Amino acid sequence: MIRRLAETLCFTLFAVFIFAGLTAFGLYFALKDELPQLPESLDTLNLSLPTEIYSADGERIQVLGDRFPVSFSDISPHFVKAIIAVEDKNFYKHHGIDHIAQLRALYINLKERRIVQGASTLTQQLSKNLFFSFKRGWTRKFKETLIALQLETTFRKDEILSAYSNQVYFGSGAYGVEEASQVYFAKRARDLTLLQAAMLAGLPNSPHTANPFKNYERALKRAEHVLGRMVREKVITAEESRAALDSELGLVEPRLETNPNQYFANLVVSRLEEDYGREFVHFGGLKVFTTLNSQFNQYAQKAAESHLEALEDDMKNQRGELQVALVAVENKSGAVRALLGGRNYSTSQFNRAVSNNRLPGSSFKPFVYLAAMENLHYSPATVVRDEPLQITIPGSGIWEPKNFGGVFAGDVVLKKAMMKSLNVVSAKLIQEVTPAKVIQVARQFGIQSPLGNNLSLALGTSGVSPIEMAGAFSVVANLGIYNEPYLIERIEDFHGNRLYEHYYQGVQRFSQKMMYPLSDMMQGVVDRGTGRIVRRMHFDHPAGGKTGTTNDYKDAWFNGFTHDYAVSVWVGKDNNQPMVDSHQRGLTGGKAAAPIWVFFLQKVLAGKNKVKFPVPAGIKLATVDTRTGKLAGENSLETVEVAVQDTVDLTPEPEKIDPFGFMDFLRGDRKELRRPEQDDEESENLPFLMQGTGNGVSKP
Amino acid sequence: MTSGRFHGQWHLKVFLVLLAGLLPLEYYGKVFERGIGHYLKWQNHKRPQLGRMWEHDRQSIVAQNKIQSIRSGIDDQQRSADSIQSLKELFENVVPAFPLVVTRQKFLQLYNDFPGQWSERIISPFELIEIDSGKKWDRVLLKRFGPWITVGFLNLEGLPIKESFLSVDALYEVQSTRTVKRGRLEDSGFTAERIYPIDRLLPVLKTLDLETQKTLFPDPRWFLEKDYHVTRLGIQNGGSGTVQSHTTLGIEYDTDYNTGVLLIPVPVEITYNILSLVENMEGENTLGENPSSMDPSGDTP
Repeated sequence: MIRRLAETLCFTLFAVFIFAGLTAFGLYFALKDELPQLPESLDTLNLSLPTEIYSADGERIQVLGDRFPVSFSDISPHFVKAIIAVEDKNFYKHHGIDHIAQLRALYINLKERRIVQGASTLTQQLSKNLFFSFKRGWTRKFKETLIALQLETTFRKDEILSAYSNQVYFGSGAYGVEEASQVYFAKRARDLTLLQAAMLAGLPNSPHTANPFKNYERALKRAEHVLGRMVREKVITAEESRAALDSELGLVEPRLETNPNQYFANLVVSRLEEDYGREFVHFGGLKVFTTLNSQFNQYAQKAAESHLEALEDDMKNQRGELQVALVAVENKSGAVRALLGGRNYSTSQFNRAVSNNRLPGSSFKPFVYLAAMENLHYSPATVVRDEPLQITIPGSGIWEPKNFGGVFAGDVVLKKAMMKSLNVVSAKLIQEVTPAKVIQVARQFGIQSPLGNNLSLALGTSGVSPIEMAGAFSVVANLGIYNEPYLIERIEDFHGNRLYEHYYQGVQRFSQKMMYPLSDMMQGVVDRGTGRIVRRMHFDHPAGGKTGTTNDYKDAWFNGFTHDYAVSVWVGKDNNQPMVDSHQRGLTGGKAAAPIWVFFLQKVLAGKNKVKFPVPAGIKLATVDTRTGKLAGENSLETVEVAVQDTVDLTPEPEKIDPFGFMDFLRGDRKELRRPEQDDEESENLPFLMQGTGNGVSKP
Repeated sequence: MTSGRFHGQWHLKVFLVLLAGLLPLEYYGKVFERGIGHYLKWQNHKRPQLGRMWEHDRQSIVAQNKIQSIRSGIDDQQRSADSIQSLKELFENVVPAFPLVVTRQKFLQLYNDFPGQWSERIISPFELIEIDSGKKWDRVLLKRFGPWITVGFLNLEGLPIKESFLSVDALYEVQSTRTVKRGRLEDSGFTAERIYPIDRLLPVLKTLDLETQKTLFPDPRWFLEKDYHVTRLGIQNGGSGTVQSHTTLGIEYDTDYNTGVLLIPVPVEITYNILSLVENMEGENTLGENPSSMDPSGDTP
C-alpha cells in the first residue's frame, strides 16, 4: 500500500515536473521576443535631466521629471530593514523568487479562485516597475519572474534595493525614498527615524489609502504593522518598536499646489508640447526662461482673493464660488507678466485665463467703435442718436437693444456713448459698419476666438479669453502696434546653448492717428465713465479701459491699460450662474472686476512714475458739446474733451445749435438733459433684473 | 506486478535520483533560478529594448535628437549669417516668415564695408552712434513683412532700441547699385578703348564736385582698409538702340590673391562729362608730352 502510494506520488511528481518544465519551455519560446533587454547598469534609471521653468525674476516655478536618486549608503538603514521586513523578508536569501511565499499565495488564490494575494519579491516588483504594465495577468507574471531572475544574476542585492527605493511611488507625487522623505518629513532619506522609515516603508503597497496626509490614523496603523513585522523578523526589538511608536512622527504640512504660478507654468508646458513634442519638454533637460514676474502673480492672487472674499461675504447662500482670471501683458513687448487662471490651483486647475471663452459684454465695444471710425470716418465727436431701436433680422424677428438702466441719451457724441457704454449706439454703429467689418477689426486686435457674424456682436455676445483681451487692449495703449502675447523668452539646453529666443514681433496694425482717439475715449471711461471706480479707488496713473457685464450678471469684466501694462480681469462662476449680492443687485464689471484690476496695478506700479500717453502728430484735443459734437460754447450744457484727427472740423454750425435743449425737451428726454452727470454707478446699483434681461441688453 | 513495473521503469528511478540530488542544490544553491538567470543574461543582447524603462530611454533619445536638430538649425543660421559678405547679400537673405539676426559687429562690418552711401539710407552713422551710446545694442533683426523690410536694432533683452523700415523697392535699388565681382574689367564687358590706367582717370574724377564724387566713387578707405590696390578704371557704354539712363563705372583692383572689379551705376550725363574731360586731358597730355612743339625754346613766359 505504502509502496503504491509512493509510486503514485513519484509518478505524479514526475508528471508535474515534466509538464511544468515543458510548459515553462513552451511559454518561454512563445514569449521570448517580448522579454526586454536589461541595461548594463541600474544607475541609468535616473539619468534623465529635469526640465526647469524659470520666471523672469529668477524663480524656479516648475520642474518636470525631477528625480532625487540616492546611493544605497544614503538611505537610512531603518528604511532598508523596514522595507525588507514588510515587502520581502527573504530578500537576501532568495534569488528573485520566494518559493514559500509563492506557494502560500498560490494556495490562497486557488482557494479564493481569484488573485487576492501576491508574492512578488522586491526584485519582481522592480522588474514590473521597470519594464511591464501594471495590468495583472499570468503571462506578465511569467515575464516579470524571468526578468527578476536575470536581475538577480546580473546585479548585486544592494544595487537592486537602491534601484527599487529610488523609483518606487510613495504617494503625494513623490517618487523615490529621497523625495518621499522631503515631501513627508522635509529631511534627507539618510536621516529618517525608525517611525518615519516604517511609515514610508508602508506606503509603496498602498500609497493612497495609507497616505498620512489623507488618512493619518490609517498611516499610523500601517507604520505600526511594519514595526510589528520588523520585530517578528528580529531586526528591531519590541522595546525599540514601542519607543518608535511613542516618538514624534515629524510629519510636515502637505505640499499644496496653491502657487498661482502653476497656471502659467502648465500653460508654458502645454505650449512647448504643442510646438516641440512631449519628449523634448519632459526628457530634454531644458531650462525655460519665461516672461512671468512671479511677484506680479502674487499681487494678482492677493488682489483677487481679497476682493472675491469681500464679494462673497455679501453673497450668502449662492451656488458656486466666484472664480477669477487675470492676465497682464507688457505693452512694449507683449510679454505676459502675470497670469492667474483661477482662484486656487489646488482646488481647480482649469485655466480660465486662456481656455475659458466667456462673453465680454460691453468690453467688446471698443472694436465696434474703431471699426466705425476706420470705415465710416467717424470720430469721437461724431453725434449718434441714442433712442429706442428696433432692427428686423430676417429669420430671427426683431432685435431691440436696450441701454442699461432703460434710459436713452438722445443725441450724443461717440466719446460720451463709450464712456456711458450705451448699447443702442453700439448697435447702430455695427448695423452701419456691418458685423463682418467689426470682426475684421477684432482680428487685427489679435482676437482669435470664433466671433458670430451678427449684430449682437456689438454687445459682446461671442466668447473671448482674458489673454486675448489683454493683448487686444495693449494695442490701444501701444497706439496701434500689436505684440502677440508671449510666454517664453528663451530656451536653453542643459549646457546653456540657446535653442529658442523670442524676438520682438511688433506690427503696426492701426495708424497712431486712428488709435489715439480710441485710447482717449477709453481714458474717458476710467476718468468719468462706467469705469470711474478706478479713480474713486485713488488709482492716479493715466489709464484707459472698458467695463463689461453680460446678461443676468454672469460675467463681469474690466479690461484696461496704463502706459506700461494692459490687464484683463474676468470674474464669474464656473456654473455660469448669475452673480447677485444679498440685496439682489447684480455684480457688474465695475463692481466685481475693476477693483481687482486696481489692487493689482497699484502694487505693480507702486513707486513708478505716472507716464502719460503720448499724443501723436496730427491729433488735436478739443472740448466739444456732447450733443452737437462741435466746439463747446457758453451755452453748452455738457461738454467733453475729445481727441480727433486734425482734419475733423469741429466748428459749430450756428443754425443747428439748440442750447436749451428745446428739441430734446420735445422728444421727452429732458430728464437726461437735466442730469448731465448721471452715471452708471447708480445704474449698477439698480435691483437685479429690473430691466429686460433678454436679448440685447448688455451692461456697462 | 506493480512492484515489477516500478522496478522496470528506470526513468522514474533516474528522476528520483535527480530529484534527490537537485532538491538540496535548489534549496541551498538556487540552481534553477541561477541557471535561468545566466541563460537570460547570456541571451540579453539578442532581446529587444522594450518596456517602460527603455521607453523612458527612447524618449530621452528623441528629446536629445530634437535638441541636436534645433542646434544644428541654429548653427546653420549662424554660419549662414556669418558668411554674409556684403550688405547687399544680407538684405537678399531676408525672406518672408524667416527673420534674420546678425550680431552688432557683423552688421557694423557690413555697414562700413558697403562701397557707397546706400547704407546710410537704412540708418545714418549718427543714429548708429546714438544707438550705440547706451551700450545696449546687441544684435540686428531683419524681418520682411509684406512690402516692407524692418531693421530692428535689438538690446540684450531682444527688444528694439530703434527700428527702421525699408521698402522692398529699395532692395531692388541696392541690387542694381554697387556690385563686386571677381575678375578683370574685360571680363565684365568693358572694352579696351574705355579702360584707363588709374593715373589717367583719377585726375578727372578729382575735378568733379564733391557730391558727384560720392555718387561715382566709394570712400577711398574702402580700398585702403582692405589692401585693395586700384589699378584701372573703365566706363561701360550701354547697349545700342535703347535710350540709356545709366552706364557703369568699373574700378579694377588687385588683392593679395586675385583681381576684382567694383561696378557702379553712373548717370549717363556724368559719363559723357567724364569722357569729354578725359579726352580733353588726353589732348593736353599729348601736348605736354611734346612740349617742344609748343615752345621750342623751353621758356615759358
